[in-house]
Amino acid sequence: MKEVIVSVADWAAERGDGVLVTLGLGSCVAIMLHDAQARAGAMAHVLLPSISLARDISNRAKFPETAVPLLIEQLKGLGADPRRLVAKLAGGASMFGQLVTPGTIQMGERNLLAARTALRAAAIPIVRESVGGERGRSVRFHVKDGRVEIRSVGADVAVI
Amino acid sequence: MEDVRDLKALQLDALKEVANIGAGHAATALSQLTHRRIMISVPQINIARLEEVPGLIGDPQEVVAAVLMHMLGDLTGRTLLLFPEPVGRQLCDMLLKRPLGTTKAFETIEQSCLKEAGNILSGAYMNALSEFMGMLLLPSVPSLVVDLSAAVLTTTYLNFGHDRDFVFCVETEFNIDAQDGLRGHFLLLPDLASLKAIFDAIRLT
Repeated sequence: MKEVIVSVADWAAERGDGVLVTLGLGSCVAIMLHDAQARAGAMAHVLLPSISLARDISNRAKFPETAVPLLIEQLKGLGADPRRLVAKLAGGASMFGQLVTPGTIQMGERNLLAARTALRAAAIPIVRESVGGERGRSVRFHVKDGRVEIRSVGADVAVI
Repeated sequence: MEDVRDLKALQLDALKEVANIGAGHAATALSQLTHRRIMISVPQINIARLEEVPGLIGDPQEVVAAVLMHMLGDLTGRTLLLFPEPVGRQLCDMLLKRPLGTTKAFETIEQSCLKEAGNILSGAYMNALSEFMGMLLLPSVPSLVVDLSAAVLTTTYLNFGHDRDFVFCVETEFNIDAQDGLRGHFLLLPDLASLKAIFDAIRLT
């Protein structure tokens, strides 16, 4: 089993028995794409909901709108067919909720909306999500079968 | 100032001095609360890319108890108090005057206890800064989470900060009873715009 750690604003793609891991998602979102037939999967750990928020936009894995096309390209290289791809999302939590100004949209929520918009633009259906809430998440994505294990501090492992 | 990387050496030194005064008062408060000696480190200014924030303080995979508060008034920003989770539990025991090792989980009373500790420490820190700089500084209510350090730090900057490229913090580490491992971190996170107000107040331009 090959385990690949995906850090913040980073991405990875694997095939076969690879496992893509990202640890400590707070308001960030893990976008995971999977082609069951090719047994291939890719993950991006996106940080910001729009390229308009940053000056340096060279890192495509940082934003949903650039990360989704990047993951599709990488998966094609691994023999996946973009028409077969399905997506899972994890993250976008709202920690320190008491301190949020009422009426504002949180960064976690904005990241989720942007991720869904980018996936819709690429015509990739979202099959499962583990999003929102007040807890951070760590994610293990098995690219062989698309299974995703989600761990949060003080909670049991959930599988989506 | 547009970018935190533009800070000059003299300005960085001045910020550390300001932080040292604040942390000194916070340490005194913590010492009185716990009846123990508190050692504080020389403050450090950490500057990082937003994506490098998980590794800014300690191990990103460590579970921490973190108290975040807004700083309002003449300066705006946040304060973040971080303890490794086992230290957070021991601190609860000290504050609640129970034998060390009693706290197993952060129930309502323990959560309240840590938030109160955050309140007192941040209050002492901000009071010292207020007095030194002749400013009005007000703390918000405290908010507590127990989660992976990486998630806590990225959320702190992403959800509550305004800088999206480079970010910074003024960090003081403190040790309880000078014991190894019984450590915490106090982070002052002023908004970039408030740095100018700090430098003006101490007549550094």
